[in-house]
Amino acid sequence: MQANVKVVGDTKKSFLTGNEAVTWAALAAGAEMMFGYPITPQNEVMHYWTRLAPKYGRGFLQTEDEISAGFTVCGAVQAGTKAFTATAGPGNVLMQEPFGMAEAMRLPLFAVIQQRGGPSSGTVIYSQQEVALTTYGGNGEGHRIVYSTATHQEIYDYTIKGFNTAWKYRFPTFLLGDGYQAKMREPLEMYDPEERGIEIVPTYPLLGLEGHIGENREPQHLCNIYSLEEELYDVVLRFAEEYEKISPELIEYKENQCDDADIIILSHGVVSRAADDAVKALRAQGIKAGSFRPITLRPFPQAQLREAIAKSGAKKMLIAESAYGQLDRLTKQEIYGETIKIENLFKPGVGIIDYDIINKIKSML
Amino acid sequence: MALVRIALAGEGGQGVQSVAEILAEAAYDEGKQTIYIPNFGLEQRGGVSIAFIQASDERIGAPKFNKADVVIALSERAVSRTATYSDSNTLYVYDSGFKVDEEDYPREYKQIIGLPALETANKELHPRVFNIIIMGAVIGLTNMVSFESAKNALENKLGHKFEKNPELRDLNFRALEMGKQMAEKSLQEGGAK
Repeated sequence: MQANVKVVGDTKKSFLTGNEAVTWAALAAGAEMMFGYPITPQNEVMHYWTRLAPKYGRGFLQTEDEISAGFTVCGAVQAGTKAFTATAGPGNVLMQEPFGMAEAMRLPLFAVIQQRGGPSSGTVIYSQQEVALTTYGGNGEGHRIVYSTATHQEIYDYTIKGFNTAWKYRFPTFLLGDGYQAKMREPLEMYDPEERGIEIVPTYPLLGLEGHIGENREPQHLCNIYSLEEELYDVVLRFAEEYEKISPELIEYKENQCDDADIIILSHGVVSRAADDAVKALRAQGIKAGSFRPITLRPFPQAQLREAIAKSGAKKMLIAESAYGQLDRLTKQEIYGETIKIENLFKPGVGIIDYDIINKIKSML
Repeated sequence: MALVRIALAGEGGQGVQSVAEILAEAAYDEGKQTIYIPNFGLEQRGGVSIAFIQASDERIGAPKFNKADVVIALSERAVSRTATYSDSNTLYVYDSGFKVDEEDYPREYKQIIGLPALETANKELHPRVFNIIIMGAVIGLTNMVSFESAKNALENKLGHKFEKNPELRDLNFRALEMGKQMAEKSLQEGGAK
């Protein structure tokens, strides 16, 4: 492995697709191995990785399906290998089994999800319909960290950060993009993380450790079978406690002109770009709008959103998403008890532009 | 430069996406904010291929748009597919080599422009530079990038082919120039009406 060879030397401006940005960032973060199975619109992550990886001594394996791709990542990270996968749509459905395993075994798995419109044979285009699946899919409690990106710069930044988060906290970590972000080209700055003072969290094997159990080290329990209900109960409660403890350091969000807002637009991912444009246009027309965007969908910035509502005194909130209420449900469960009036702009599988949001806001006034 | 939004549509193989990519690269090289996104649905495999391009001096929001400043439809099917992107501010361009029934025109438009790109390519240049004529036309209609930047972007993209066959360079640059002039002429004529 030549994982320490500098991938990106001096910071350089680039004009890339989101899938390319993922690949370069994974290389720059020192990812050693990708396991994957082809699916649109993430194919190019694999495509570029297989082209670039050999130049930097990194590995790739195309598995027989997505279940296998997820589990091979689970295996590789236990050996201390910085491994990842990328998928979309029905691939994300199949990977919920290994993702659930990673959650239950606290494995530092990192996966990139480029959302597409359901069902499995549905469209290969854009959607935001994998929010529920990525945050709470699987037979577990959603002890996951999910970054929802909006720009190619963020794709690059959060791919690097995603690996670090996974290895620092040992909760499975996801970068949630979509078909638009995967396929479009826009400018971004690529940089060497260490040049920016970003410390790369070292990987470490979880199994096959040095020494002898009982003599000079404790046993390493990576339990995935529980014969007693109470045993599992204790473990899940402990994970929940740890997840809640680290949540404040993980939560990220962006707030735009909420201080004096009469109305708050809540959106995530690529839709938040249109929301910010809408705020600008509405303010120019004398309408006091603000926008709030969770970057981490898990853990959700619920205290921060409650605070934005409280300090602005806004009476109304618009939740806009390219899905039929997935962000809406997530938000409502997080801010239970708030009395702000919530309206929706749901466009499942369809892009949302500033014009759509502006019209909707005006209809709410 | 204020935001320019362009929808380019044609049949697979007409080079719509290549031209869109080169135009977007040219805008990016000029230091503009630029977004280019192809449609990549199943229609890509045997249907109308559309490229969405946006360039601006300022940050660009959503990657797609409802209405374009310029729509270019390069086949009959592309006309009906793209009419939805036209409104009263849109320059709606089609290749005059195929006939468009007036009822297929978009309901709203600023000007409808038929350009003899295919004919010019076939008779005066070479069929393969048809898309470069269209690229020139986009520049003539929008001034989205300078002519020099467009030439540089072509050089970056096709330089390795030009090295092997320098005549290709001349052919491409002439196509670019002819497309630009064709578009500028049609704008003047439209303005005079």
